[in-house]
Amino acid sequence: MATHWKKLSVLGMILILIVVLPMVTDLGSNIMNVMVTLFMYIILSQSWNLIGGYTGQINLGIVAFFGVSTMVTHFLWKAGVSIYLAITAGSLSAVILAAVIGLPTLRLRGMYFAVGTLALAQAAQTIVGNIFTRTISMPGSFSTNYSLTPRYYLGLTLVVIAMLVVYAVTRSKIGLAMVAIRDDEQAAQVTGVKVFKYKVIALLISAVLSGLAGGLYAYVRLSFYQVFALFSPSWTFDALLAVVIGGGGTLFGPVIGSIFLVVLSEIFVNTLGQAHLIVFGFIFILVVLLLPEGLMGGVDVVRPWVYRTRRSSQ
Amino acid sequence: MNAVIQTVLIGIAIGALYALVALGFGLIMGVMKFVNIAHGSFIIIGGYVAYWLFTLLGIDPYLSIPAVMLVMFAMGLILYRLLFSPLLKYPRAEMRLDKSLLITFGVMWILDNTVTLLWTPDTRSIVTSYTGSTIDILGAKLGFTGLAGLILAFLVAVILHILITRTYFGKHVRAATQDSGAASLSGVNVQRTYLISCGIAAAVAGVAGVVIVSSYSITPSGGLNWLLTAMVVIVLAGEGNITYILPAGLILGLVQSISTLFVSSAYQEPIALIIFILVLMFKPKGLFASRG
Amino acid sequence: MLEISHIDVFYGDLQALWDISMTIDEGKIVTLVGSNGAGKSTLMHSVSGLIKHKTGSICFGGIRLDGMSAHQRVEQGVSTVPEGRRLFPQMTVLENLEVGASIRAARKVRFDTLNWIYELFPILRERKKQRAGTLSGGEQQMLAIGRVLMSQPRLLLIDEMSLGLSPLLVQEISRVLKDINKLRKLTILLVEQDVQLALSLADRGYIIENGRIVGEGDAKDLLCSEQVKDAYLGMGLAGKVDELE
Repeated sequence: MATHWKKLSVLGMILILIVVLPMVTDLGSNIMNVMVTLFMYIILSQSWNLIGGYTGQINLGIVAFFGVSTMVTHFLWKAGVSIYLAITAGSLSAVILAAVIGLPTLRLRGMYFAVGTLALAQAAQTIVGNIFTRTISMPGSFSTNYSLTPRYYLGLTLVVIAMLVVYAVTRSKIGLAMVAIRDDEQAAQVTGVKVFKYKVIALLISAVLSGLAGGLYAYVRLSFYQVFALFSPSWTFDALLAVVIGGGGTLFGPVIGSIFLVVLSEIFVNTLGQAHLIVFGFIFILVVLLLPEGLMGGVDVVRPWVYRTRRSSQ
Repeated sequence: MNAVIQTVLIGIAIGALYALVALGFGLIMGVMKFVNIAHGSFIIIGGYVAYWLFTLLGIDPYLSIPAVMLVMFAMGLILYRLLFSPLLKYPRAEMRLDKSLLITFGVMWILDNTVTLLWTPDTRSIVTSYTGSTIDILGAKLGFTGLAGLILAFLVAVILHILITRTYFGKHVRAATQDSGAASLSGVNVQRTYLISCGIAAAVAGVAGVVIVSSYSITPSGGLNWLLTAMVVIVLAGEGNITYILPAGLILGLVQSISTLFVSSAYQEPIALIIFILVLMFKPKGLFASRG
Repeated sequence: MLEISHIDVFYGDLQALWDISMTIDEGKIVTLVGSNGAGKSTLMHSVSGLIKHKTGSICFGGIRLDGMSAHQRVEQGVSTVPEGRRLFPQMTVLENLEVGASIRAARKVRFDTLNWIYELFPILRERKKQRAGTLSGGEQQMLAIGRVLMSQPRLLLIDEMSLGLSPLLVQEISRVLKDINKLRKLTILLVEQDVQLALSLADRGYIIENGRIVGEGDAKDLLCSEQVKDAYLGMGLAGKVDELE
């Protein structure tokens, strides 16, 4: 119980730091940008964590939810709707898309679901790319008073919401069903779990989070020169990478993974340029092969080893 | 009448290519129960090898097929040795499948980005002296490259069929597919069988790549589309049934081609997708399931 | 010929076999009997190479089998008829037999071996083009044994031969096994639930209970022993009733 409070207080302190720092000092736009990007990745990776990490359904097309929400948020906001409503609407549209995609594909076996979602995301990219061939941008009035601060705090709020959602869902009956489905779908079915229903629920909640990330992105970016890139599979890949590295099926795994991802990106983009994508690919495969539980699980691997060496040295 | 024959010819030609694309993917999936999402990338790389052999050394693409197959075979061996064999330690089939999905997603990522980095995102295709020429068949015209692709696809399908049904290696493959434990107990080196199957699958992907770069074009990220095509064919053929892949591909090609008589060709992909989902929902074991 | 020394076998963290030691002499028929879940199949899997054992060693003809995979053990001459037959259902009888001769040494002589199998089990010649999945239980068992014999083994392991077979068929197959053992000097290790059958057929027997060897000796002696009679031959119940009265 003591460790529980210790963890919570450490968390609380970090949270307070993150909240208060920008108010007292000027962190500079670079750091603020990185933080906002981090927030976005945390939310997006939590989205994949829900459907992939907890429920075991490998969704290779979450970028579709992300992109749709970004677009809807963008246009609503441009039309004069408040950003908060716009993001909510964006998330809603992501959920609707998830229902449309999910209902047919979730009935399929794992492999077909994976490739099906990949295919649909590709189709979305092609369709959207064909419709919106030119840049979509905001009128000048939006960019004149652009400040990262509200975006920072909105991002932070959304991260907290996302974490709370994951916490609540995974500790509820839904979460129990999700994990049962992941561990042994047949057994779950046989013991009365309504597998299809919970897969759909998991996907819908996952879509909400992807939608939040997308809405945040619309708020941060304002204009998009290549709408095509909004639906690029690299968003899906990054989310997967963050979850796999950090540890799927855990509350903080995606957070750790996102931090890892963002930090590495910052380091590599300057030194390797395009090649950093390739390096990430290798890291991804290595982690899947060697550290299936990610860094969170790595702790469980390291701890007994450390304990053993400490004991033997006494 | 000519239009109909034309449509049928085109349908058969493209259907054969679809089958060729699916054969490599189906081999890995049927034998090892792994999904290779990077299959499309393998096809594209095969195309690039042929492209560079042609552009730098002037070798005709169809003559370069043995070389392409060799390179791709090696890639398949590496894929198995490094990435698939560690997965065998998981006893449960679903876990192996999921891991293979993740890993090959990563492989696709690496391959596609490496190719983009090395050779730019530009579209490539091989244009030879005979690229544009056509042959008259029953009053309709069939492109020379289309015909070549057709012949190659049939050749590969037949050779594979003979390999699987009449050679000892083929018996090992079938035994390992039906019960890998019993196969081991019978003296079959299952790991080596898997290894070679992976190599063959990659080599076949390479041949598909050669046909595609000569008949159409390739881009670094184009592999995904071919992967999806392969999946649709596999679903039509019924998982694990390599024998039915050729007919399934032909059917898909014909349906798509005939549909162009009624709707615009822009709907080709959505049509394939719809067929995919319909068959999965109503005939999950494939079109040929009742024949068992 | 086969020397199992002090092996422990685990399924993950769960221990299934404790300190198992067995000796099988060349040319003999040895049986391992025990009730369901006692660990018979686990032991078979360890010897055939499907499962790894944690401690101890398994030696065949002086060569350690420990690191070898299943197919390598077949090359050494140790072949297993698995529990439930595990034939290749979509392949024909002939093809199943041919797969049995996969190792190089067996492949060379497979035509002769095939003729021998057809002599032992004439029904297999009749059905050679039939899919293995469509055979009856008895025919499947014959095919399973035939498939294993195709590898020209020196040691034959059979896991639960009598399961699902009529007494007549069991007699028939037992006779064949006894013949092969006598004529071809083929060593046999038989794992069986049917204690009566096993101990009548074998020269030597081991009894396994809850993952440990609890008895061993000459098969005929074991058959008459109180231990076996009580626990396995159904006479135990009568004895217990006597005690109650």
